Amino acid sequence: MNMRKGVVPWLLAAMVVLMGSSGVAVAEDAAATVAITIDKTVINDGGTIKVSGRAPAGKPVFLEVWATEHTVRASRFDSDLDKETNKRPYIFYLTEDMPAYYKIFVPKEMKAKIDEEKKLKGKWSYSKLLKEMGAGDAFSIPPKAKIDRYQSSLMASIIGSRGDQLPTMEDKDSRKRAMQLTKARFRSIDKVFGADIDLKPDGSFTAEIKIRDGLSPGKYNIVAVSDKKKSAPAVFENKIEFPLVYMDNAGTSLNIFYPFMLSLCVAIFGVLMGAGGGFIMNPLLLALFPALPHTIVAGTVTPTVLFSQGSGIYNYSKIKFINWKLGCAIGCAMLLGGFIGPKLTEMITLDQFKFAFGWILIILAALMAWQTTPGYLANNKKEQAILNEFKKRAQEAAKAKSAN
Amino acid sequence: MKVEFWGQEFKVNMVIGCIGGFLIAVLASMFGFGGGPFMVPLMAVGLRLPMYLVVGSSLLAIFFNTTVSTMRHYQYGNFDLYFFLAMFPAAIIGGYIAPQIAKRVSPLMVKRVACVGLVLLALNLLGVY
Repeated sequence: MNMRKGVVPWLLAAMVVLMGSSGVAVAEDAAATVAITIDKTVINDGGTIKVSGRAPAGKPVFLEVWATEHTVRASRFDSDLDKETNKRPYIFYLTEDMPAYYKIFVPKEMKAKIDEEKKLKGKWSYSKLLKEMGAGDAFSIPPKAKIDRYQSSLMASIIGSRGDQLPTMEDKDSRKRAMQLTKARFRSIDKVFGADIDLKPDGSFTAEIKIRDGLSPGKYNIVAVSDKKKSAPAVFENKIEFPLVYMDNAGTSLNIFYPFMLSLCVAIFGVLMGAGGGFIMNPLLLALFPALPHTIVAGTVTPTVLFSQGSGIYNYSKIKFINWKLGCAIGCAMLLGGFIGPKLTEMITLDQFKFAFGWILIILAALMAWQTTPGYLANNKKEQAILNEFKKRAQEAAKAKSAN
Repeated sequence: MKVEFWGQEFKVNMVIGCIGGFLIAVLASMFGFGGGPFMVPLMAVGLRLPMYLVVGSSLLAIFFNTTVSTMRHYQYGNFDLYFFLAMFPAAIIGGYIAPQIAKRVSPLMVKRVACVGLVLLALNLLGVY
């Protein structure tokens, strides 16, 4: 009896092993019809990788390439009019699982379709392009991302919350949203599609894949998809070295000295013109580093400004040059505003951000121009004289006090 | 509201002050700037306060805004540490160097240069070129 009991689990285990191995063999068989090789497995901050492989003859081939080690956040605020219900949904979609790099390469013959979609400028549609090129099967990684969605309302925005979280979506809906989020994250067509595959009639293909610089480090996967079959992933690694540093939240790597030098110049100029650096820093960063998301730019410049303000307040308070009652009273109103603002940054797109900031800068320029007009200067001279007189008195008072 | 400053009393219209401050704060925190250049004219022209009262107190007011918006941006994951570490020391060094240079240049010239620079930046953002 004991012997038999001991044998049964072994038999079961042997069966499992047999079944398992036969399963693997079948999978290999299917994959054998699509296969790829790559010419190198390491690149330094971008580079060109030659991919060659074969697929069933006469069928289009797509290469899905993505970063496996780093993900970034993608968000989209849906306020487009729904054609069926004629209502605006105001739903905020958010995922943290978007690959830091994601691109689908298509055969060269499809370049015309991509170029045509480019003519729509910012209004191009990711899902439409995927469908027209028949590349839907290659779009497999973003749909796996967990997408949260929130029902925004005016009230929720005022108290600065994202709104009520809605139940998770069904696969089909989630897939559609994943396409929109992919577009929202990478924005331009060239970043998500490339027509670089040279496809021969017998089904063999070659492609020179250009990986741009300033991307996330770590391993990347390439998978070829053709006729609903997938190849085994080919893996390459993107290496970056100091002074290039990968910024986790921004999803890009950047030479750390550039923002340092930029910030230095802007800080000096900001003090000279009497404005915090934020006014110049934000637009300059957006113009010089288009890869940085505007939310990160706004969210990181703000604390930088904070410290210069803090030291300013400390210096003024030493000579008692601050009216605490007035400052705190208006400060409370500004507190509320500061609570709401960052929420709104998240809800607008980069283009809206640029548009609004552009007008703010024009207003600021007008204010500056007004401050150089003769009438203002004459008035200001008196004010400045009084200001300096008071400052002097304040400093003397502070000195006298510390001498005591 | 009445405030006293260096022996003088000023009447402040808090309705204008608070509404204006609130609007500036929303924009400032949304786009990530301090807001000083808007706050000073608001208090000097809108509230008719003298410059020597405005300079320190407006700084205090925008400090409230920047503190909260920093916290909120951080909460929403808009803050990137390495990026911050690259810019922050530079901003501090700049703060020390700037007063040395300020003695040697005319403020009027700086403002005019700033004006042109701001318009150029604005046109860039608006996609004119």
